[in-house]
Amino acid sequence: MVDVSQHELVPEHTVLEDDELEEVLTEYNIDRTDLPKIKRNDAALPDDAAVGDVIRIVRDSRTTDQSVVYRLVVE
Amino acid sequence: MQDTTPKDIGAINFGLMEPEEYREMSATKIITADTYDDDGFPIDMGLMDPRLGVIDPGLECKTCGKHSGSCNGHFGHIELAAPVIHVGFTKLIRRLLRGTCRECSRLLLTEDERDEFHDQLDESRKLSRDLNDVTKAAIRQARKKDRCPFCGEIQYDIDHEKPTTYYEVQQVLTSEYSQRIAGAMQGDEEEGIERTTPDELAEQTEIELTRVNEILSGSFRPRESQRKAIEKALDIDLTEEDTNKLMPSDIRDWFEAIPDEDMEVLGINPERSRPEWMILTVLPVPPVTARPSITLDNGQRSEDDLTHKLVDIIRINQRFMENREAGAPQLIIEDLWELLQYHVTTFMDNEISGTPPARHRSGRPLKTLSQRLKGKEGRFRGSLSGKRVNFSARTVISPDPTLSLNEVGVPDRVAKEMTQTMNVTERNLEDARRFVSNGPEGHPGANYVRRPDGRRLKVTEKNCEQLAEKVEAGWEVNRHLIDGDIVIFNRQPSLHRMSIMAHEVVVMPYKTFRLNTVVCPPYNADFDGDEMNMHALQNEEARAEARVLMRVQEQMLSPRFGENIIGAIQDHISGMYLLTHDNPRFNETQALDLLRATRIDELPEPSGVDDEGEPFWTGHDVFSELLPDDLDLEFTGTVGDEVVVEDGQLLKGTIAEDEVGEFGGEIVDTITKVYGNTRARIFVNEVSTLAMRAIMHFGFSIGIDDETIPDEAESRIDETIADANDRVEELIEAYENNELESLPGRTIDETLEMKIMQTLSRARDNAGNIADEHFQDDNPAVVMANSGARGSMLNLTQMAGAVGQQAVRGERINRGYEDRTLSHYEPNDLSAEAHGFVENSYTSGLTPREFFFHAMGGREGLVDTAVRTSKSGYLQRRLINALSELETQYDGTVRDTSDTIVQFEFGEDGTSPVKVSSDEDNDIDVEAIASRVLDSEFDSEEDREEFLGSKPRPTNLSEHADDRLTEGTEVSSDD
Repeated sequence: MVDVSQHELVPEHTVLEDDELEEVLTEYNIDRTDLPKIKRNDAALPDDAAVGDVIRIVRDSRTTDQSVVYRLVVE
Repeated sequence: MQDTTPKDIGAINFGLMEPEEYREMSATKIITADTYDDDGFPIDMGLMDPRLGVIDPGLECKTCGKHSGSCNGHFGHIELAAPVIHVGFTKLIRRLLRGTCRECSRLLLTEDERDEFHDQLDESRKLSRDLNDVTKAAIRQARKKDRCPFCGEIQYDIDHEKPTTYYEVQQVLTSEYSQRIAGAMQGDEEEGIERTTPDELAEQTEIELTRVNEILSGSFRPRESQRKAIEKALDIDLTEEDTNKLMPSDIRDWFEAIPDEDMEVLGINPERSRPEWMILTVLPVPPVTARPSITLDNGQRSEDDLTHKLVDIIRINQRFMENREAGAPQLIIEDLWELLQYHVTTFMDNEISGTPPARHRSGRPLKTLSQRLKGKEGRFRGSLSGKRVNFSARTVISPDPTLSLNEVGVPDRVAKEMTQTMNVTERNLEDARRFVSNGPEGHPGANYVRRPDGRRLKVTEKNCEQLAEKVEAGWEVNRHLIDGDIVIFNRQPSLHRMSIMAHEVVVMPYKTFRLNTVVCPPYNADFDGDEMNMHALQNEEARAEARVLMRVQEQMLSPRFGENIIGAIQDHISGMYLLTHDNPRFNETQALDLLRATRIDELPEPSGVDDEGEPFWTGHDVFSELLPDDLDLEFTGTVGDEVVVEDGQLLKGTIAEDEVGEFGGEIVDTITKVYGNTRARIFVNEVSTLAMRAIMHFGFSIGIDDETIPDEAESRIDETIADANDRVEELIEAYENNELESLPGRTIDETLEMKIMQTLSRARDNAGNIADEHFQDDNPAVVMANSGARGSMLNLTQMAGAVGQQAVRGERINRGYEDRTLSHYEPNDLSAEAHGFVENSYTSGLTPREFFFHAMGGREGLVDTAVRTSKSGYLQRRLINALSELETQYDGTVRDTSDTIVQFEFGEDGTSPVKVSSDEDNDIDVEAIASRVLDSEFDSEEDREEFLGSKPRPTNLSEHADDRLTEGTEVSSDD
């Protein structure tokens, strides 16, 4: 099997720790269900991501260098 | 005075209405189907009962006492003789029937299953998913149960016959069971099934032989267990479907018993909506204001479609009651019941498949409730999302190069119709009086005035003089549009925000809207009969917003790619090319003439002195007059040469499309971003006028001789074509002899096609090249192609050289007859000619066969554009609906109305393409921008150094800081 997470076009996906998550939720003043979603079976997810986790995705961007987005793992 | 204070909507609940609620809000019960009596008065408790509201002006509403216009009307109600099903809920009714027990009405799920679906529903709600998915799954699971888990009752299938009939389907023993058993016992020799004797049957089924014989004779009906045994032994089906119609009253009883806690799993809130309310026992009658009757010219009254439908319902309702009281047979009652159901159904929706629509006497289908709301002309899309507006005008557009791009020429008759409200003060009193005294016919006139007491007076030719004298401060005058007013201008389809822009009015004679040709690209307008809309703004806030945000010059940069969308087009580009390409010389008169429509009224120092001692100015120098004084630019231009601008002087290079054109013209783009929109507007206006002067100076026309080449070239082209034909023949021969080698991944046939296409396209290019050799650089078609004004060298090739291969679906033409395209050719002729290669040029003329193939290719192009526009229109609509509620919040995130985040930063980088545009090749030059800002911000080098922190400011705060001064320019940080 190909591990797509190693592909150069797949940005870095990391599972947020609880305290980091708390920070994100207060920064945007939202519940975690207000985040965009990502499917649990998405090939880019790290293996230890479980449903309910929040993933941080860091993309390279030409204009802002790095663009950070968060996603909630759903079934 | 009416209370017009806006109110906040706290929440909206959607649910079903209880019959009791219908009765409570009803102004009256309706019992007679008649509307008006012989004297023309509405009948009490009839469909036009005065308590239902007023439509005639002057009358008073019997319920609320208000007059027509302020009374919204009041509902009445009809007591239905028997319950009927509401068509809007047939699907939900079916689901409930299938998911609940026929005996105890409980949901056919165990408590555990129910709780699980309950949890799923909660989760879905939190993730704002579609709740229907869960409720549907719950029903699906419930349907699987054969018996009720609570009372043990057997459950039957529910059949739904659209639109409003439900049946229970039971499997029962067929009446011809004895024949079927006997038939099966006969066996079938052909299929090799042996005969079965009654003895054997008795043995296999463990039924006594006497019973078997009784069953066979038909005198005993086998019980269910016996039936199943026989079915198994003989491999037959002894059942038939027995359908049992569920009357609306049965369904109502069934639903009444559904417990509240079971309904939540089905997504129904029992506090607001009980399922039995989906079966109507009371029908609300809409107020007369919703179905006004019209008095025709001949004095006859014509009723609204809804009223007609209600008349039908009341008539049937009455007949039903009479028949039931008279003890009519069940059959009659059921027929009437069905008729009542039909009328109530079509009252709500008259376009249900399977039901004939209720029709007007004339045969036109009635427009009932659902038809009023649905579709493009319905209440939502037609009356609420979009409506017709006042203060708008529409007419044909035509060009006017003397206008600024910010302006629009408005016909005087439009200007006289559309008004602006003028609040009269001491300062504008004189103007106001002048407008009023000009009357409604004279141009800067007025149509209405409003006195401080609120009274509105029409200005007429007769009273205008007197009225003008009465106008005082505090009055309002509705004056005509005058030069300089701001209006909104729009061309459909409004595909992007530049389709609606604000223009300044210039009142003009004649009947068309006039606009500068440089605003054609954003509107996608031309002058072949296009019409555009204009809207006059009606309050100061709107006018201010339009002026600041919507004016054409503010829309110079496209939000799509961040470059200018407004710039020189067509003749402007040809003109600039002629002016700058060979850098021609002009004498003083000529140079002044070129610049006459610009701000420049004094020529710069002459560029030089010619042989006769006369001073001259070059095209570059004339053009440079339009540039900002300190503009510096260097880039590769349209024609491939280096364009150099230094200190606002064009030093070298040709000005054409990539320099001043509409989509990303480098100079226009830079001026907009560096010098601002106003400077860019001036520049574009002046470029277009200068270009028009230039093109008129040189003269620019094109004719058939410009595309004709000498005979010698003609014959060389013929040679190339003949050569290509020979090579195609060679290819075909090789193919037929199986000598052709296939390209990787292609069949032999495909390879041949590709090679032929290649050969022929090369032939056309060669023909084009030969033709090109004979075109001078000053050939107008070449000028247009080189400058990017219009057309390309390919167009020229097709006119002078050869038109080339015609294609349908990207292939040579292959359709038509069996194995050939036209009957002029042998079957399976693979030659160039037989498959749509056009050897002739447009100038030399096409042969009939070539013409036919050309038409085939042309037709495809037309169809494609037609299909593309309709497809993209629908796509656009869906995108707009999907994205319309997204909004960038103050924290930079993009969210929808339920606060779900769509983007964490607008566009993932938080930048507007209009403010910062860059792409892979052109990064943002941060250094240059920074130094430009610093230059304009600080006058002296010292201030600048100080701001940048490279030199510390002397301080008197403390003696300890003194040493910083002596230490020199180095900044020491405190930490």
